[in-house]
Amino acid sequence: MRRALDRVWLRQLAALVVFLALWEAAGRAGLLNPLYVPRPSAVAAVLLELFGSGTIWPHLVATFSAAMAGLLLGLAVGIVLGIVAALVPFVAEIVEPFMILLNAVPRVVLAPLFVIWFGIDLGSKIALAFILVAVLIFFTVYTGIRQVDRRLVERVVTLGGGRGALLREVYLPSLVAWILGQLKVAVGFAFTGAVVGEFVAASRGLGYLLSFAQSTYNAALMLALVLLIVAFVLLIFALAGRLERRLLRWRG
Amino acid sequence: MLRVAGLSLAYDETTPVLEDASLAIDAGSFVSLVGPSGSGKSSLLRAIMGLQRPSAGRIETELAPREIGILFQDDALLPWRSAAENVALGLRLGGESRARAVAEAEIWLGRLGLGGLGDRYPRALSGGQRKRVALAQVLALKPRLLLMDEPFASLDAITRARVTQDLLALVESERMTVLLVTHDLEEALALSDVVYLLSHGPRARISRRYDVPIPRPRDVVTARTHPAFAPLLEALWHDLSREVTGEAVAA
Repeated sequence: MRRALDRVWLRQLAALVVFLALWEAAGRAGLLNPLYVPRPSAVAAVLLELFGSGTIWPHLVATFSAAMAGLLLGLAVGIVLGIVAALVPFVAEIVEPFMILLNAVPRVVLAPLFVIWFGIDLGSKIALAFILVAVLIFFTVYTGIRQVDRRLVERVVTLGGGRGALLREVYLPSLVAWILGQLKVAVGFAFTGAVVGEFVAASRGLGYLLSFAQSTYNAALMLALVLLIVAFVLLIFALAGRLERRLLRWRG
Repeated sequence: MLRVAGLSLAYDETTPVLEDASLAIDAGSFVSLVGPSGSGKSSLLRAIMGLQRPSAGRIETELAPREIGILFQDDALLPWRSAAENVALGLRLGGESRARAVAEAEIWLGRLGLGGLGDRYPRALSGGQRKRVALAQVLALKPRLLLMDEPFASLDAITRARVTQDLLALVESERMTVLLVTHDLEEALALSDVVYLLSHGPRARISRRYDVPIPRPRDVVTARTHPAFAPLLEALWHDLSREVTGEAVAA
């Protein structure tokens, strides 16, 4: 089993290497216009330059901190609001229509508004990442609590459990499972929010660099930045996956 | 030990599913409720547990809520707790320390033939094993009255016979009082001292009571060869058929 998996991984890596080699060869043979499709070696050179000169760091820090702050805030607010709305019907009546509306529109349309409200610094990017994550997590928690397994609730009640026991034994573990199930989507949303926010108006960040690359027709820089963002998201996915395996051992 | 008097149960305001049901359960007896689907058997158990409010009538018992245990049709084990933690749950809710509860849970798992499987999560157990964990979970609280709602319906025939026999041995040695809901007439007769037959619902009633004079301790297989078994099964089957065809005529 283990060996078979290793082989799949090897085959995939081999395919990628062949693809990159063909790309490089086609570029060198003059089949691809470097203005549109730069060679992989050119993209690598840009990456090396970005890290070598250290110019990339403030941008990385800006995007990363906006995404993480938005993610954490969005998780916190989404969880609390979801729990309260599920338990207090009055709150649900007020909050649910707003959330449905926010869920229906592509929330990135709020980016220009956030720039006016929170300025071109980190605030507007955090706000966008936050609103993307918070709505997702709100619905995860809100619908999750209302659909919690009634049989488990009755089981705990008939064994003598009260509200506290129900929360500890049934609701919280269910909650952890639902949220971890959505965590990867939420990470993707947080980075979307941060980068799109930087497109709209910023003086720093990967999104800002991307829009700069676009205005100067620098395809190599764009590809390098896309690669960087992918690498970052994959890194966080790996961390989320570890957390998932640790906390959801019982799923086997 | 438990008296149900004139009990009516309804899902909605209009039609009671069960009407004017009365029955008595003596301490140490094994009582079964049999009847067609939809005759309110499960609802009656839920009402005794306080999970459903009767629309009329009374349930009288000298037992505290903690002295009544219930085994549902599905296992309903907490998937995020190991077998031992599931069994320990009721004990911990009763105020035992975690360590003592888990130690006692392991003893009960061993008694039910699951020694060494305490660390497994429910997902890693077979259907029969999960049923035994659910049984251990309830028995660990040492209920004086045990309610069971078709507990073994989902098991294959051989597993079912084995779990039932183990349960019967425990019930007889602990002198537990049992109220069992089942579709299976033979199972009801082999296990019980008293069998109540319910008519078809809605407005189901308790239509007859049968006393089963097979001596204890019993074996679920050899109880069926006792001379009293066949005539009782025939009478029960005849009466139940009449209930079901009565339903057909009414429809």
